[in-house]
Amino acid sequence: MKKLLTGNEAVAEGIIESGAEVVCGYPGTPSTEVIQTLLPQEKELGIHVEWSINEKVASEIAAAASWAGKRAIAIMKMSGLNVASDSLCSIIYSGCGGGLVVYVVDDPGAGAGMVEQDSRYYAKLGVAPMLDVSSQQESLDFVKLAFETSEEIGGPVFLRSTASISHVASNVEIGKRVKLKREAHFERNISKYTKPKASWCMNQHQDSLTRLTRASKIVDSKVNKMHLEEEYGVIASGAAWENFQEAVNRYNLKLSWLKIGIVNPLPEEKIKEFLKEIDRLLVLEELEPFIEEEVMRISFLSGKKIDILGKFDGTLSKMGNYSFKEVKDSLEALLKAKLELEQNPEIIERAEKLEVKRPTSFCVGCPHRGTYYAINRAIKKLKYKKGEIIVTGDIGCTILGMNKPFETCWTEVAMGASIGIAQGFKWAGIEKPVLATIGDSTFFHAGIPPLINAVYQNVPLTVIILDNGWTAMTGFEENPGTIPLKEADTVRVDIVEVCRGCGVKDVSVIDPYQSKEALDVIAEAIKHPGVSVLVSRRECSLQARRRRISLPKLKVNPDKCTGCRVCLSSLACPAMIFHPEDNKGLMEITSSCNGCGLCKDICPEEAIEVAKDAA
Amino acid sequence: MQHNIYLAGVGGQGVVRLSEIIAGYAMKKNEKVKFYKEIGLAQRGGPVHCEVRIGKVFGPRIPPLSSDVMVIMELSEVLKALELIKPKGMVILNRKRVYPIDMMVHPERYPKEEEILKLLKDAKAEIIWIDAEKIASKIGLPIAENIVLLGVLSFVSSFDKKCIIDVLRKNIPRKIDKNISAFNRGYEAVNPIR
Repeated sequence: MKKLLTGNEAVAEGIIESGAEVVCGYPGTPSTEVIQTLLPQEKELGIHVEWSINEKVASEIAAAASWAGKRAIAIMKMSGLNVASDSLCSIIYSGCGGGLVVYVVDDPGAGAGMVEQDSRYYAKLGVAPMLDVSSQQESLDFVKLAFETSEEIGGPVFLRSTASISHVASNVEIGKRVKLKREAHFERNISKYTKPKASWCMNQHQDSLTRLTRASKIVDSKVNKMHLEEEYGVIASGAAWENFQEAVNRYNLKLSWLKIGIVNPLPEEKIKEFLKEIDRLLVLEELEPFIEEEVMRISFLSGKKIDILGKFDGTLSKMGNYSFKEVKDSLEALLKAKLELEQNPEIIERAEKLEVKRPTSFCVGCPHRGTYYAINRAIKKLKYKKGEIIVTGDIGCTILGMNKPFETCWTEVAMGASIGIAQGFKWAGIEKPVLATIGDSTFFHAGIPPLINAVYQNVPLTVIILDNGWTAMTGFEENPGTIPLKEADTVRVDIVEVCRGCGVKDVSVIDPYQSKEALDVIAEAIKHPGVSVLVSRRECSLQARRRRISLPKLKVNPDKCTGCRVCLSSLACPAMIFHPEDNKGLMEITSSCNGCGLCKDICPEEAIEVAKDAA
Repeated sequence: MQHNIYLAGVGGQGVVRLSEIIAGYAMKKNEKVKFYKEIGLAQRGGPVHCEVRIGKVFGPRIPPLSSDVMVIMELSEVLKALELIKPKGMVILNRKRVYPIDMMVHPERYPKEEEILKLLKDAKAEIIWIDAEKIASKIGLPIAENIVLLGVLSFVSSFDKKCIIDVLRKNIPRKIDKNISAFNRGYEAVNPIR
C-alpha cells in the first residue's frame, strides 16, 4: 500500500516497521515531525516515545535502551547533534546491543534559521557508518536497513536527511509493522562500557573501525547504484539526486552515474570502478565537498586524469539547497552544452522590486509581546536610550523580539547561550546593565549551567525567562514545565524553583499581560547588583486557545479613536487593521483578538474597550 | 507527463489544506506526487506557499517555466513566483489583498494591479480573475475561499470532479454541504470568466 508521507513521517513509519521500542529526541526543524507522528501512537504501539530535555540526554537514553537489547533511536536536527556529540562519540566506541540509530536532519538553505552545517563530518569524527537518504521512500527503507546493519555490526548507525526530503511528501510504499517486545538485559562488561584505560579505549576505537568496514560491505549493493553509459559521469548523493533525475528525464540525458547512499565509509571500490569508465565527472552533493574530496583522492591514486567538476572548481556552491536550476547549470558545465531557456531575468528583477515583504511578528495574544514591550519600557524608565542596553536573545519564538517594533534582542547563538553570552559582555567591561532573554524549553535544554555560573561568579545580570509553557516554535511540544495534560504521567518542574535551587536569590514572577506592573518589576531587577531572574509567565496564546481558555475580546470605540496608530506601531498585533480611507483613519480590532489587553493599556485616548457582547 | 501546481497566499487562508486535497486527489488517481510546503512562520503573519507536482516528477520543487497552474490567494504573492510560470500556463488570481502592518498606513505602497498584470503578460501567463471570498460569502461560508479556488482549479486542470469531491469530503471536518457548494460555485465560475 502507498501513502503520501513526508520524509519525516516515512522515518516514523520505518521506526514502527523496525520494531524500535525506545524513541527519543528534542524538537527542531526540520526533524520534529518524526516524534510528532509517533507520540500519539505510543500507547497503541506499546513503546516508549519521549521529548527529552535535550539531544544529549535523548542519545544517552537511546544508547542504554539499546545496550539492554532493545532497538532504539535518537532524533534531532543538525544543531542538536552538536549537543549530543559528546555522549555519542563515546557511545559509538562502546557499540550497541539492540539496533541503535541516530537520525539527524541538516538544513541546507537554513530555511529554519541557524547554521548550514554538514553533519556528514560527524560520522567521520565519531567513527560510525552513515546512510544518506535521497527520497521519501528511502527515508523509510533506510531506517529499517540502519537498524538491521546496526545490529549486525554491533554499533550505532547514523541516518542523515535534509530539509528538502524530510519536509516534502511523496508516495511511500508501506511495509509490515513489527512488535519485538524484547526482554531487557544488560551484561556488565567494563572494558566495553567504561573508558578509564588507554588500552580499553584503543580497543574500542579498533572495534569501531572494524564495524565501519563491515557496514560498508553489508549495505553496498543496497544503497549504492551505478549506471554506465557515456564517458561523462555524475556522482550524486542526498537531495541533489532527485533534481538530477528530474534533469535526466526532462532533457533525455545520456550520462553515466553513481548514486551513493552510504557516505561513511564511502564505497571506495565502486568509486574506483566508476572512475575507470569516465573521463569527465560532476560531483553533486549539497553543502561541503565531502564526497568530492574523497573522489579526488581516489582519482589521484588511480593515476587516471579526470576532469572533476564540483565545489573546488566553483561549478557548485557550498551554500544553500540546490534548486533545479543550479543542478541544471552544473550539468550544462559538465556536458558543455546549453539545456533550456530560463525566465527572462528582467521579468524576475521587476517582480522582485514589487514584492511585498511580510515581516514576522508575534502571534495574536502572544505573551512575548507584552514581555518585550515591558522590557523596553523598563529600559526607558531607567533613563537609558533604546539601543544602549544589550539584550542577548535565544533560540525559539522569543528571538522574534529582535524584530520590529521591539528590536530588543541583539544576539542569538545556540540553545541556552543567551545567559553565557551575557556574562561575557559584563567581563568585557560593559558597564551598563546587560539582560538575557530565553524561553522555557530553551532554559531547560541548556540554560541552567550558565545560570549557575553567573550565580557562582556573582555577575550582575538580569535573566528574563519567557515561560509560555510550551516548546512553541517547532509546533507546541511539551517540556518539563508544560501544564500537566490529561492522562499525562509526567511530573511538572517549576522554573522558579529551579532558579532558586541554582542559587538565585532575586527571583520574581511577572505577568506579560499586565505590562505596567511588569515594567516596574523589571526595572527593579535591572538595578539589583547580582543575578536576578524574572519569570514572565503566560501560556502560549495559540495553545491556550486550543485548550479553550479565553479572555474577553477588545474593540475600538470609533468616537474616541483618533487614528494615531500608537497601538499598531508599538505592538504590531496581527488582530489589528488600520483603515486609512476614513477621513482621520480608524483602527479596527478583528475577531481574531484573544483579549490579552495590551492595546487597552497603551491607547493614549482610552479608545480600546472590552467588547461587552464577546465577554 | 507532468502537471505542476503552485499555490500561494498568507497564513490563515487555507493554502495548505487546499494543497493537501490536491495531493490527496493525485494519490487517489495513483499518480506519483511531490508535495512541498513552505509554512515557516505563517501563523505569525508570513507568506505560505505550496507546490504540488503530479505525474512523472522527481524533484521536490517546480523547475523554472514549468508551472501549469498557479492559484494565488493573495494577489501580490504571485510576484514571488514569476520564475516558474510556464508560457501559456494558467494563473488563477484571487481578488484579495492582505497588507502587512507598514502598508496598512500606506496602502499606496502595495504593488499596482496594472504592474502585476503587465508582468504576468510579459511572462505569457493566461489569467483568470476570481473573487473567491465574495462567492464563498454568498453561500454563507466566507472562510471557504480556498474551496472555491479548488473548484476553479479542478475545472482548469480537468480533474475528475466526482473523485476530487470525494477527497474534499474526507478532508473537511465540518459544514460539508456548504463546502461542496463552494466547490461547485468555483467550478462553474470559470466558463463565463474565460
